[in-house]
Amino acid sequence: MSLETIDLTLMCEAVPHLQDINAVFERGRLTAVIGRTLAGKTTLLRSIAGLQERIEGRLELDGRNFSALPPWKRDVAMVYQQFINYPHLNVYENIAFPLRRKHQADDVIRRKVEQILTMVGLSGFETRKPSELSGGQQQRVALARALCREADILLLDEPLVNLDYKLREQLREEFRDLLVARTDAIVIYTTTEPAEAMLLGDRVVVMHEGRILQAGSPAEVFDRPVSEVVAGIVNDPPMSLFPGALDGRGIALEGGISIEAAPHMAGLPPGRYRFGIRAGELRMDGNTLRGRVVFTEVSGSETSLYLETPCGALAVQREGVHVYPHGALVHVGLPAHRVFVFDSGTGALVAAPLAGAN
Amino acid sequence: MTGNLYRILKYAAVVLWSVFVVTPFLWALTTSFKTINGVTGGATYIPWLQYKPSLDGWHNLFGGSSGIDIVHPYINSIIVTASASLISIVLGTLAAYGLSRFDYRVGIVKNGDLVFFFISQRIMPPVVLAIPFFLMLQWLHLLDTRLGLVLVYIVLLLPIAVWIMVDFFNNIPRQINEMAMLDGCTPLGAFVRVILPNSLPGIIVAGMFCLVFGWNDFFFAFTLTFTNVQLLPTAIVSLNSSVTPWWSLSAAALISVAPLVLVAFLVERFLSRGTLAGAIR
Amino acid sequence: MARIHLSRIGHAYTEGAYALAPSDITFDDGGTYALLGPSGCGKTTMLNIISGLVKASEGSVWFDDADVTGISTANRNIAQVFQFPVIYQSKTVFENLAFPLRCRNWGRERIRARVVQVADILGLTARLGRSARSLTADEKQLISLGRGLVRDDVAAILMDEPLTVIDPQMKFELRRKIKQANEQTRLTVIYVTHDQNEAMSIADEVLVMEQGRVVQRDTPSRLFESPVNTYVGNFIGSPGMNFIPLRRHETGLAIGRHLLPAVPVEVLACASDQAVTLGVRPEHICFCRQEQPGALPVSVLAKHDHGRIFIVDIDIDGSPAKVKVAREQGIPPGRAWVALPADRLRFYAADRLIASA
Repeated sequence: MSLETIDLTLMCEAVPHLQDINAVFERGRLTAVIGRTLAGKTTLLRSIAGLQERIEGRLELDGRNFSALPPWKRDVAMVYQQFINYPHLNVYENIAFPLRRKHQADDVIRRKVEQILTMVGLSGFETRKPSELSGGQQQRVALARALCREADILLLDEPLVNLDYKLREQLREEFRDLLVARTDAIVIYTTTEPAEAMLLGDRVVVMHEGRILQAGSPAEVFDRPVSEVVAGIVNDPPMSLFPGALDGRGIALEGGISIEAAPHMAGLPPGRYRFGIRAGELRMDGNTLRGRVVFTEVSGSETSLYLETPCGALAVQREGVHVYPHGALVHVGLPAHRVFVFDSGTGALVAAPLAGAN
Repeated sequence: MTGNLYRILKYAAVVLWSVFVVTPFLWALTTSFKTINGVTGGATYIPWLQYKPSLDGWHNLFGGSSGIDIVHPYINSIIVTASASLISIVLGTLAAYGLSRFDYRVGIVKNGDLVFFFISQRIMPPVVLAIPFFLMLQWLHLLDTRLGLVLVYIVLLLPIAVWIMVDFFNNIPRQINEMAMLDGCTPLGAFVRVILPNSLPGIIVAGMFCLVFGWNDFFFAFTLTFTNVQLLPTAIVSLNSSVTPWWSLSAAALISVAPLVLVAFLVERFLSRGTLAGAIR
Repeated sequence: MARIHLSRIGHAYTEGAYALAPSDITFDDGGTYALLGPSGCGKTTMLNIISGLVKASEGSVWFDDADVTGISTANRNIAQVFQFPVIYQSKTVFENLAFPLRCRNWGRERIRARVVQVADILGLTARLGRSARSLTADEKQLISLGRGLVRDDVAAILMDEPLTVIDPQMKFELRRKIKQANEQTRLTVIYVTHDQNEAMSIADEVLVMEQGRVVQRDTPSRLFESPVNTYVGNFIGSPGMNFIPLRRHETGLAIGRHLLPAVPVEVLACASDQAVTLGVRPEHICFCRQEQPGALPVSVLAKHDHGRIFIVDIDIDGSPAKVKVAREQGIPPGRAWVALPADRLRFYAADRLIASA
């Protein structure tokens, strides 16, 4: 079973929300759609669900015209960002709601609901109302309802974004285990966080300003981003980019910084390019670049430093929690073999570092 | 202010206000058991001790010597108010749902303008409508009929229902509709199964408002009915004669308040059971 | 600017149930502090006691050497920024920032100079002439903050989860501006949040709170390196610290059957009936070769791709743990060996940190 979107386009007052979206989603695979806010991810999901008006283009499920079906005939389940549950029903009835619409027998419903409640860790919560539950529990109920009905297509629209940090970490793992077990549905999960997309997706689709920029396995998208924009989206903090030139001697960046070229750049003609390096791959206390700290940000177990260097703004990430006062001088090393090279005009990838061992 | 003094003052205020509110009812109660002698002889309050209670006042309501038959107007009032309220709520809820969920546009008139149009009906003084309604009902041969009154009351009560319910529906996120549709409900199914149960508090509030306004209306009942159909307010007024029958009037006042008190009592029990509270999110 | 001291402060909203357990807390002048914890931990209560919006049921509040417990909020010279921007919609940005100064009868030129200065710190200079209504949510929050910064008699700035309603995209920018403003003005700032990243990024010192008590009060680095109990160890850092129960051996402590080398003396010396737990962060465990001294045999259960890093689930003779591995590094399949660096190990008994190696 596969769902194909053909030339899906949505224009709202001359602003493109979706442009020529052509994608195929296969049964049994979880596709992670990653992009910044307003990239068109939610619009795409709503189009697949049949909730988006004025959409041009077609949707086909196994070759049959899917666009002609109204939402209630499409067998699509959706989990929203905002913990949407039926407020007037208790947890049991919330999960049973779609099953009742399909007129399934009471004992069948009971068995399925009990099973899903155990899977999401909410056994014993049957009689509670959503307003009595915490945010994480409400989202688990929403997921339980979506999973229990065993729909053909399961859509999740940034389901963890409104939860706090530690809860997000915990639910991400739970969702991963639950979604991976569904081998008979088409699952599409949108997010803005690269880590989530990499963790959950069998396939990653990168969207930006209503277009799909790249689609492939997580490793492909991460190790070989097809352009600067993609590299910016799939890295957190975003990849730092510098204009420079490549010649026989090596890479010459602005501010007089030069480093030796790496083997993966061997085939490139000399000329001007843009060079990118991930924040986590710069070496602390190296001697390639010097910069002054503009801002530090602690994120989980890592500290991100934002530096002003002679070649431009640089983001550096290091393990652990470290405090740097504003204006502190930091020395970093730029390992050439981890540098990405992009075309200075189009931003397309021309050379990528050799992929990791995993 | 110390805690205790504050508490005493708080309770004193509550007691004072309760006395202020309850006294008229008590007065009506005692007066309804008096006769003309008991009323004119100065203020008396306690039956059997200060005056001799009699059932004259009550008797007069049911066709006694100088009274009227209250039963038929009573029933008419119930029928007219209940039907008008019910229809207003049904139509008003549906209209409010449309105004909340769908985008209308007639020229430059949009949803917000339509809602304001409904609300503006209540800003207008009812007196302005007296003659137009009279003429309309006359033309339709519906003067002095229950149906005519029900139609007029619907016009008056519908805006209240729409006004309250639009706000209620706007507070229910659209995603709940979408979720219901994805779960297999048609849009109408989503409305009936999901939105309505969640709007129960709103419907009850709107219902109560409609009942109270409808029940208490004197003006249109007076203008648009004469002999065939009489409503409670006009019937009570007709009790008046050269000597004001305080005892009958008191009795009438008491029984005319009774249905509303009953409704309020039922709604309050319903509310306090938390049934409605849980539905609100 | 003031040094804030809470003396035996405790607060119970109802009899017997303390929202904030009685304790002494001091905030030094000019420092930036974060009160961090989940909802219900008492952080907002503490903030409201400092500002005067809540009168504590016990204890007293001191600003420098003055007892302000009985003084109303308005007279305590507190600037507070709430979750929702509080601004005068109909006035321009300039007028919004000038308002507190006009109320204090400052001269026109003086007001102008000060407003321009503060607007510059906050990056609002280009917006000074605009009506406040036309601003985005994050700009409105900056105005709320600015109104506190313009005054020169402010004892402290209190912020109650100010970034909650801000778009995730803009949170980063706003956080940066708040931090810059802090660094430039050096006022005492107390910042309440439930977000660890926010607290660790903004504050010089973080007070981790749970159920009305301050569990640990330290710099962000020390909170990360030496959490005082398992709660803090889990709460700070992503993923949280690994906690592995240790068994007693005649010769020392072991994970399952494998003896731990280099256990500090204090840990060995503690009472034999106390269960000892080892705390070590996933980033500090590394895969090594079997020959390495102190290597422990483990089974690799699963690996999860997080992009730049992989998180590997391992089992050390019955105890689960997580290891963080950089993408370029290899992850051995099946059976492998790990090394635990001695200086990164933390030992806990009765859920309290007793020693770090």
